[in-house]
Amino acid sequence: MIDLQTGRDLTREELSELVADLAARPDEWRHLVDHDPDVRTYEQLLRDEHVAVWLICWMDDHDTGFHDHDVSCGALAVAQGTVVEERLALGGPPASRRLGAGQALHFAASDIHRVAHGGDGPAITINAYSPPLWRMGAYETKPSGELQRHSISYAEELRPLGVR
Amino acid sequence: MHTDVHQHLWPQALVSALTWRREAPLLRRSGHDWILRLRDEPDCAFDPAAHDPEERARLLRRDGVDRALLAMSSPLGVEGLPREEAQPLLDAHNSGLLELGGPFGVWGAVSLRPPDPADVDALLDAGAVGISLPAGALSGPDGVARCASLLERLERRDAPLLVHPGPGPWRHWRPQAYAESGAPLWWPALTRYVADMNAAWHAFVAFGRPAHPRLRVVFAMLAGGAPLHAERLTARGGPAGAIADERIYYDTSSYGARTIDAVVRCVGIDQLVYGSDRPVVDVGATAPLGAAAREAMVGANVARLLGEARLAVAS
Repeated sequence: MIDLQTGRDLTREELSELVADLAARPDEWRHLVDHDPDVRTYEQLLRDEHVAVWLICWMDDHDTGFHDHDVSCGALAVAQGTVVEERLALGGPPASRRLGAGQALHFAASDIHRVAHGGDGPAITINAYSPPLWRMGAYETKPSGELQRHSISYAEELRPLGVR
Repeated sequence: MHTDVHQHLWPQALVSALTWRREAPLLRRSGHDWILRLRDEPDCAFDPAAHDPEERARLLRRDGVDRALLAMSSPLGVEGLPREEAQPLLDAHNSGLLELGGPFGVWGAVSLRPPDPADVDALLDAGAVGISLPAGALSGPDGVARCASLLERLERRDAPLLVHPGPGPWRHWRPQAYAESGAPLWWPALTRYVADMNAAWHAFVAFGRPAHPRLRVVFAMLAGGAPLHAERLTARGGPAGAIADERIYYDTSSYGARTIDAVVRCVGIDQLVYGSDRPVVDVGATAPLGAAAREAMVGANVARLLGEARLAVAS
């Protein structure tokens, strides 16, 4: 566990600094890296009243699908490899950006996005949420084009079934 | 391995011993029924059929649960009886359950007059997964101090503690005149149990944790909702970070989606374990927060609580 005592919720800009800093210090988390071709793997680096920090390992085809973070804002920094983020837009293609090692982004609780592995070998990201992720919205597009939101516990994301 | 960490099953020898007692706790025949009399709760019916091991095992199979951990019904107050009264009841309980084997594990129950760590050793050596204590025995700094030798021994043996509602010997509740007051059967479970569990959690995070830094503890019934008060605890100068304690677990007994989800928000999914409190209440092995949350609560989190697996999170 990393040591961090904020005593308050952090802004997404502060979270962005936090994950960028951690991503640049692999000695803190290198021993936890574990890539699985079938699923993203997660390690929780910190959880307290105000902040949760995860290490996520990505491989080809791993994709979160569109989701929101309910009441938590967050940030993500790439420590290795490449990921692609898309922001959901109605009536047009999603706004897309590609992030490589050393780059970070942040998002508000109200943002709807997806993150997918960007190719070029296994990727590692450091993600942080404040307050700690609790419930999420997972978005599904029906064949008719209707968009549906499913309220899910963050456990579905942090401890997905099928992970060793 | 899927585990229900909180069930009760009274071995025949315990039932028999309770029928011979002249003072509460005792069992009495009333026509074709059995009546359970406690010192400070309303009389209630007792159904021996609900304590049949074979039927209990069948229910486990039905629910897809591999193992149930059986605990003393601490509201009986056995732990706080004078030791010479308590020991036959404790022996009947512990031995009767340890003999069951099969899908059953055991939380050992011990006398508190006085607490003796040799009891902890004997029960762990006999195969108990850990020890249970009544919340009333731990509901203040004095109680935590009096139980220190038991907690220290559990910590040294790397075995967990279950905190279950029930009275302690050094904090006497005034017996309630239930017959006159008209209080319903559920009254103690929603008032004194909740208050005791809340007090025991706060006593543990304030006094128990500093003295026993590695002890793993599971609080029944979501610790009476104690973690929900974390903001108030911090505001009042209590130990900030208590809800981030990785070695404190919460069983879900009698609660459903709303309250479990609220506690998950405070302590995270990794600290919750599935406990049914069968046969007292039985909401079944449902998955109110989804399949992944259920898997964590019946599987991975229990394994960490019992020391059968290391923390999955970085440590």
